[in-house]
Formats: sequence, C-alpha cells, structure tokens
Amino acid sequence: MLVIVLAALAVVPFFLTSYWVYLTNLFLINAIVAVGLNILTGNAGQISLCQSSFMAIGAYTTAVLSARYGLPYWLTLPAAMAVAGGTGALLGYPARRLSDIYLALATFGFLEIFQVVIEEFSDLTGGVRGISIGRPSLFGVTLKSDLSLYCLVLAAAVIMIWVASNLMRSRFGRAFNAVRQSPYAAQALGISIGRVKLITFALSAVFAAVGGSLMAVVVGFIDPLEFNVIASLRQITFIVVGGLGSIAGSVIGALVLTALPELLRGVKEYVGIIYAIILLGFLLFMPGGLITIWAIIRDRIWRKPVKIEGANRAASLD
Amino acid sequence: MTVTIALQLLFSGLSIGAVYALVALAIVIPYKASGVLNFGQGEVVTLGAYIALVFTQWGVDYWLVLLGTLVVSALFGLIFERVAIRPIVRAPEFTIVIATFAVGLIIRGAIRLYWEDNEYSLSSPFNMPPLNLGGVRLNANFIWILVCTAFVSGSSALFFKYTRFGKAMRAVSQNRAAARLMGIVVEHVYMTAWAISTAIGAVAGLLMAPVTGINPEIGNILLKAIVGAVIGGFTSLSGALVGGLVVGVIETFSGVFIGGTFKHIAPFVVLIVVLLVRPYGFFGRAQVRRV
Repeated sequence: MLVIVLAALAVVPFFLTSYWVYLTNLFLINAIVAVGLNILTGNAGQISLCQSSFMAIGAYTTAVLSARYGLPYWLTLPAAMAVAGGTGALLGYPARRLSDIYLALATFGFLEIFQVVIEEFSDLTGGVRGISIGRPSLFGVTLKSDLSLYCLVLAAAVIMIWVASNLMRSRFGRAFNAVRQSPYAAQALGISIGRVKLITFALSAVFAAVGGSLMAVVVGFIDPLEFNVIASLRQITFIVVGGLGSIAGSVIGALVLTALPELLRGVKEYVGIIYAIILLGFLLFMPGGLITIWAIIRDRIWRKPVKIEGANRAASLD
Repeated sequence: MTVTIALQLLFSGLSIGAVYALVALAIVIPYKASGVLNFGQGEVVTLGAYIALVFTQWGVDYWLVLLGTLVVSALFGLIFERVAIRPIVRAPEFTIVIATFAVGLIIRGAIRLYWEDNEYSLSSPFNMPPLNLGGVRLNANFIWILVCTAFVSGSSALFFKYTRFGKAMRAVSQNRAAARLMGIVVEHVYMTAWAISTAIGAVAGLLMAPVTGINPEIGNILLKAIVGAVIGGFTSLSGALVGGLVVGVIETFSGVFIGGTFKHIAPFVVLIVVLLVRPYGFFGRAQVRRV
C-alpha cells in the first residue's frame, strides 16, 4: 500500500498542471508539519500553540540566509533546522515544568512575542510587508522548474516521515506514549519526563522548520500573517481530523484539509468557519480522527480476538 | 515628569486595565467552577460589542442595550457550555482547550461573514467632552468602565460569598464529588458559571466599544486578560481583578517610557516570567502535586 502511494506521488505530478503540483507541494509540507506536531501532541501529550512560530523560524532563516547572504539551499535548510531545534529546546526547557493549560498559555505567549519580533525587526524580516525568496539552488543547480522543486519537497517529506515512523517504533518513541498515558508510571519505569518533553519540543520544532523552509521556497513569499495563532490551530486541525498519535493520521489530515479549500473555492469566505466547525465536530464526535474509520473497517474484515486500543493505536496501523 | 502626567497615565492605564480585569474575571469564573479555560472568551467580548451594536441600531435606549446584551450573551453562555463543553468535560485538557478555540473561531467567522471587516462605532451617553480634574483629563467613558468594573467585581464577590447558589459554585470548585453528594446539581453550576462569564465578557465588549470602535479583531484583548488572570493566580477573583489592572498600567507606562514595541511585548514577557517563577500567580495557592 505504502509502495503504491509512493509510486503515485512519484509519477502522477508529471501529468499534472503546475497549479496541482503546487497544491501537492503544500500537502506534503503540511504533512511534515503535522507529523512533527503529532509527535509532540498526539504521542507525548503536550499542547503547543506555537508550532507556526517554529515554521516561521524555518521560513525566515531560509529567506534571510539565501536572500541576504546568498547561501545555497543545502546549507540554509540545515541552518533552519538547527535554529528551530535550538529554539524548541530553549522553549522546552522551561516548559518541562508546565502542563495542560499553563503550557497552552506559555506557548501562546511565545507565539505572540514572536509575531511582534517578526514585525518589529523589519530590516531583517521585511516586517508586515513580508519578504520574497528566489528559487533554491542545490549544489550549484538552481531548481527552476516546478517538478524539480516537487522532487525536493517529496524527498524531504519521505525522509521526515520515515524518520518519524522509525523513531516512534524505537525505545525512545515508546517513551513518548508512556509519558502521555501515565506520567507517574513512566517515571516509575525510569523515563525522565523532563527530558522527553524537552526532546519532543525540539523535535517537533525541527519538523516544523523543515516545513516552513520548504514553504518559503515553494510559495516564494512569506509574511508574518501566515504564522499567527490561526495557522497553529490549522495544524492542530490536521492532526485532530487525521488522528492523534498516528503518523498515517497526520498525513491523511493534511491531505483532506489541504484539498478542502480547493473544493470550497466558490464559497471562499466560508473556509475559515468551515475549518473551525470541522475541528469542533471531530473533537466532539470523532475524537480518534479519520484513522479510526480505517480501524473499524479493518476490524470488520479481519476480526481480531482482542481489541487493541490506546498505546498500540499508532503501531497497529503498520 | 510631573505628577499630573503620572496621574493621567495611571488613569488611562487603570481604565484599560479595568477592561482586562473584566475579561480576566470572565476567564477565571468558569475555570474555577469546571476547570475549563475558555480561549473563546475573546470572541465573546467581540460578540458582546456586536450585540450592543445591533440593539443600538434598532434605536433602543442605552440602558436597555446594556440589559439586552447581558441577557443574550448569558443565553449564549448556556448554549456554549451545553453544546461544546459538557460532552467533552472529561476528555483530555488538549481537547477542551482546542474546542474552546474552535468555538471562538466559529464566532469570529460568523461575525466576519455578516459584518465583514468594516469598522463600526457605538454611541453611548458617555461620549462627552472629558472632565478636567486638576489638570488630569478624565474621559467619561473611562470613568464609566471603572464604575462598571467595580460594580461587577463587587457584586460577584457578594454573590459567591452570600447567596446559596454562589456557595454551591464554590463547593463545586473545591470538591465536585462531595458537592454532588450534598445535592448540588453540578451541571447547573457549570452552566451558570458559563452564563455569568459570557455576560461579563460581553459587557466588557460593550464598554470598550465606544472607545476602541467595533471590528472582528477587538477580541484580541483576551491575551492581555489572560496575562492578568495568570498574575492573579487563575483561581482568585480578586487576583484576576488586580492582575487585569496591573497589566493595563504596565502596558501604558512601558509604552511611554520604553517605547511602542515593548508595549506590545511587555504583557507576554510578564506572562512567561510569571508562569516560570510562580505558575500559581501572586494570589493563587500552589498545587502540591508532582508529575
């Protein structure tokens, strides 16, 4: 199944118009960010309202380094990841002590500070007017065509998702789930909760930075409005709709919600409210997300003697 | 700096702070009752301003506008709690936080659809030339805000202290199970807390509308109100009041002395510092629980 999806993603864009390639790029970028957020929120159980700030860090690091200093993309992307990972760790360090609403508040505060910082340091960031970025160059080759750019985004998405799925099957990844489900039990088993929180914050920041950096080169223009709290909530919508704690769920959520505004193009002004209604509806009526539909169907076809829930939800999708 | 300027700044800081204090109260009351922080409260403030706008456009007297806004927003609070919060009250904190955000976005989206991004102004009997008190100019709207804030906080303090229902609400916030065993209908307490909170939030919107104008973004004051509530410790009504006023004063003074940029950042810096140093604020009690 995975192979079919990958093959389709590799071949189909060659037959699509550039607008559809652009949309597919956006979908893959959203998927990267959603997977990262899902590790933090769905697996480790930490609320973060500042994921779009980390995206902004990735986007602006790339933009400033390439536009001002002319660095090639293979240098700016790692730089973006490093800056965001460092900031994520800096934020995660105090956040180790906070949980639930206090964490929501602290990340909300961070997001607001970061918005103001982008707007005020307009010499560097272009302020509210935004900043534009040229096409990226890799090892001396400028990715001029849409397809070459698409290849870059696809490669990044495959690598990031591959890293995430391997990580979640490691000893370390299972510790994330343990911290969410029972902090006390996790601590009793020798898992350092503070360290897990710190690492998940930094990790999800790196994912968001990759997404942000790719977005900067795909869209070619960034301004602070794209990284406000609404954007953070949109990313949360991806993982709630797809399925919390599931990598496949994150990707599905990103796919559905990237396609949605296209379906609603005739009634553009309704997009915001429809997003919010979908978010609330899923929280109220389908807290497991779309991925639970697949679980129900699978259980109908291959009946299982024991119903697996919770901890194995992510693992049972493989 | 002369005393007059300092007093002038203090007055405007306190007046802005009074609005934050009202919204902070509106955040703390349902949080105390049901442990839910309403991130949609900012949009309730916006909604209050627009309800007042509708009533005013019908040509209703100011006092009836005030009454009508109270009633409609309280009804909205009842529905909000019943539809969006009650079904998930036992869900993880994440679900509840995001659900209140979603409700806020729905309100904002609906307001945008109907009124679009136009700027409206609200007439009020207090739109008069400012009073002059020994060189300090006092805007009548600001005085009215301060009076209303004093009235709301005073009456809610009396309500929680002396009335039967207020005591029931305190009992629920202390121990839900025990309160239920004493025959208190906990669900009614939740709904009432939300109705009171949305009514206070809507009044804050109505009070600030003549000063700031009305647009879909005025609910953004929520963040500053939250900072006030955090300074106050989140579980204390008097703390929320003082915290809101403090935020208003800090904002005004830092804007004058340090500069415009810092004016916007100052409240959030205070927020993060308070969260890190004293997560239970200056009026709240520490929860002794290690995770």
